[in-house]
Amino acid sequence: MDDNLLEVRNISVTFKNRYGTLKALDNLSLNVKKGEILGLVGESGAGKSMTGAAILGLIDPPGHMSSGEIWYKGKCINDAHEAIRGREISMIFQDPLMSLNPLRRIGDQLLETILTHMNVTKSEAIKRARKGLEEVGIDPNRLNSYPHTFSGGMRQRVVIALALAPEPSLIIADEPTTALDVSVQAQILDLLKNLCKERGTSIILVTHDMGVIAQTTDRVGVLYAGRLAEIGDTREVLTNPKHPYTKGLVDSTPRIDANSFYKELYQISGTMPKLDAMPNGCAFHPRCEFAIDKCSKETPQVFSDRAACWLLENEAIVE
Amino acid sequence: MLVIIFRRLGQSILVLFIVALISFLIFRYVGNPVDNLMGQEATLAQRAALIEALGLNDPFYKQYFNFIWKALQFDFGNSYRGALPVSELIASRLPATIELAVTSAFFALVLGVIIGIYTAINRGGYIANLILSTSLIGVSLPTFLIGVLLIWLFAVELKWLPSFGRGDVVQLGWWSTGFLTISGIKSLVLPSITLGLYQLTLIMRLTRSEMLEVMRQDYVRFAKALGLSSKQVNFNHALPNTLVPVITIAGLQLGSIVAFAIITETVFQWPGVGLLFINAVYFVDIPVMSAYLLLVGVLFVIINLIVDLLYLAIDPRLRDSNSSE
Amino acid sequence: MERFFKSDFFYDFLRAPVAIISFCVVALLVLSAIFAQFIAPTNPFDPASLELMNGFTPPMEPNMFTGDVFLLGADDQGRDLFSAILYGLRISLFVGIMAVSLAMVMGVLLGLIAGYVGGWLDNLIMRLADIQMTFPSILIAMLIFGVARGLLPPELRYEMAITVLIISIGLSEWVPFARTVRGTTMVEKEKEYVAAAQLIGLKRWQIMIRHILPNVLGPVLVIATITFALAIIAEASLSFLGVGAPRTEPSLGTLIRVGQDFLFSGEWWILLFPALTLLALALAVNLLGDWLRDTLNPRLK
Repeated sequence: MDDNLLEVRNISVTFKNRYGTLKALDNLSLNVKKGEILGLVGESGAGKSMTGAAILGLIDPPGHMSSGEIWYKGKCINDAHEAIRGREISMIFQDPLMSLNPLRRIGDQLLETILTHMNVTKSEAIKRARKGLEEVGIDPNRLNSYPHTFSGGMRQRVVIALALAPEPSLIIADEPTTALDVSVQAQILDLLKNLCKERGTSIILVTHDMGVIAQTTDRVGVLYAGRLAEIGDTREVLTNPKHPYTKGLVDSTPRIDANSFYKELYQISGTMPKLDAMPNGCAFHPRCEFAIDKCSKETPQVFSDRAACWLLENEAIVE
Repeated sequence: MLVIIFRRLGQSILVLFIVALISFLIFRYVGNPVDNLMGQEATLAQRAALIEALGLNDPFYKQYFNFIWKALQFDFGNSYRGALPVSELIASRLPATIELAVTSAFFALVLGVIIGIYTAINRGGYIANLILSTSLIGVSLPTFLIGVLLIWLFAVELKWLPSFGRGDVVQLGWWSTGFLTISGIKSLVLPSITLGLYQLTLIMRLTRSEMLEVMRQDYVRFAKALGLSSKQVNFNHALPNTLVPVITIAGLQLGSIVAFAIITETVFQWPGVGLLFINAVYFVDIPVMSAYLLLVGVLFVIINLIVDLLYLAIDPRLRDSNSSE
Repeated sequence: MERFFKSDFFYDFLRAPVAIISFCVVALLVLSAIFAQFIAPTNPFDPASLELMNGFTPPMEPNMFTGDVFLLGADDQGRDLFSAILYGLRISLFVGIMAVSLAMVMGVLLGLIAGYVGGWLDNLIMRLADIQMTFPSILIAMLIFGVARGLLPPELRYEMAITVLIISIGLSEWVPFARTVRGTTMVEKEKEYVAAAQLIGLKRWQIMIRHILPNVLGPVLVIATITFALAIIAEASLSFLGVGAPRTEPSLGTLIRVGQDFLFSGEWWILLFPALTLLALALAVNLLGDWLRDTLNPRLK
């Protein structure tokens, strides 16, 4: 697995509350290759954001990563989060309004990031900051502006500029377009995609929008109730889903092609279980139309590097 | 932005007039000025003359504006006790109160912010929790109780500090200061702590909760995710955003310091305007009461105005009435 | 009732030692005050029972003249301090509760009216609230007290002291109630059950009292607890300053005032015991109020 930039190995994130110990992430494993865009899709609460937080060591207490390891560029970084933040792995959040410090000019925030991570003079840093703004499509003369003077889409561009400034090898983008208008979404996604392809930066793109996954990502991982349901090449997974949940997601995505007009929208019955009421065995089996007896008894492992479903057991060589 | 400033100013002036009105109403209608100034033995004619002289038969609005006009010239008539001009009484005692108030406020603000930041950054730490628990005592203790207990400990038992009065003061023109003598400074210690303790705990807890709130904000998480050091995150991002509401609320607290000064001055027999006021209440000395209220009212309105303007200056978002989104 | 004991609220209560202890302290003090007549060995305000010779007796030591022993000592006039504290507690609590009730009734009513009726009435009430809030409540209480004193003829000043005290403190604390109730009322007003009630033809005040009021009581309870603590402290402060409960009907504040005079001459107990009682009361009520506010705050969950 030499071209794996990042490997998440069997991590679990737990937190305690009055009712007991809950697992926000349960034995999750995935990997990101150099220069690829990996999508992470799932419903709200499935654990997508938690995965990103775990990688950077930003889980809010009382939660913590209780087991597993994160490997980056061949080294385990469980205890080295601070060294890699920004310089190697960056993260951008959903709400651009809240991501920027309202009291400081964006130029100050850019300079701060650049000067922290790079050994350059101040004038050199200013040059880089201006270039950074240009690359995301913002007039470099706006270095002296405050965040609230920008529109939502432009703010997210500033955020992207900030995230790229320390020249990381991996960016975790946590629902970067959810808070933006549809017309702006495409621009931002395009921008992100192009900038990263140019630099060879990998992206973990967290979203709940299947359309975004289809158009932007190389590979995709599907999360359900804190566990990995399926992972693989995007086109493969979307056209030929192996996990019943993935199939359900794909089927229930609204479409605008000629075949879809006036067709009823497919829904997966039921809802994702709450963390304190997880079913035995496979988390999805109560809603699954293909469930067999084994599904309610044992939690499936990932078969063929592809999907965690007992239905695949016979088709696959178990790892 | 000018529009906002003018509107605020207008509001303040309106409130000032209302305060003046209340002060005037008290001055004129509570108790009987004639009885108080003349005593029971005055003849009817003498009374009538006094009534005319005081303008007590004039129409209401005339008396009101007369009152304001005189107030602007610091003329509040004479005290019922001792017939000294009220303005002189207040002027002679004002420096004492101001020095006390400023010392306490400074002590409370500086220490409060520092401890607040510490407890926020070291959340869950042993010392932090200890500080928090004891701070609750600071909020629950009535000011006078703190004063009395401090006197008992430091003046009676340990005999380190004086228990009343200002010590020796140096006269600088109209102002008398206690800062320039050792006994003056010693006398300031206990009263300042007493007066400032409540503010201290308030500011400390406010700073802490604001900072904790700020540290949960996305821009702080983003700063962390970008790899900025804890020091940078805490001091460049969290702190300025915390201080904005803290300083404004602290400014408003200045007002309550003036109010609680009344109590502190009583405990320590500190010769300030607070003690003057409470004696006036006790002896129903109306002119002094009314003058003090007007003074304090004006002070509060001004403080509120300054704090609002300060907010405008610090938070850039408030400056433009049109900011996108 | 059973629902209460099974609720999250009660669960959190049992988990918080601070809350339990504070509650017990408050309960203890309140019960002592209520049953003061039965617990106190003497009635400290009956002049006939006082023996001047008992004056300045230290705690737990027999008096050299009469041989009487006082649990917490005797004050300058021979009063048993323990009894005085119990009765003083009574007055402190009485004033506190009455003042809070006054503030609550006034604030809730004004808040309901402002929120429901709206318009110029709302504006007026809120302006008034804003102006009053620019000043610390204790100053307002002093102001009202001073004015009331000025308006009353000298003979009545003594008798009416407690009433005036209650009114001044009560009137100075209505605003938080009003503001909260107004906010909630404005929200509830838009809900369907109000529209339904209006359709049936219920009069405005009926709707306000019977339908909206029960829904706004939650936060009111928290404010009431906190205001209660403030009222007790305000009363103690005013009494200490000499403009509150008089010596003939002393509250804890008055007792402390008396005690301060005797600090330097060595009769420390006259000051210390009332002071400690007040401290315990204020602390317990404050802790309880704080905990209540934290628990009932949905945002922090």
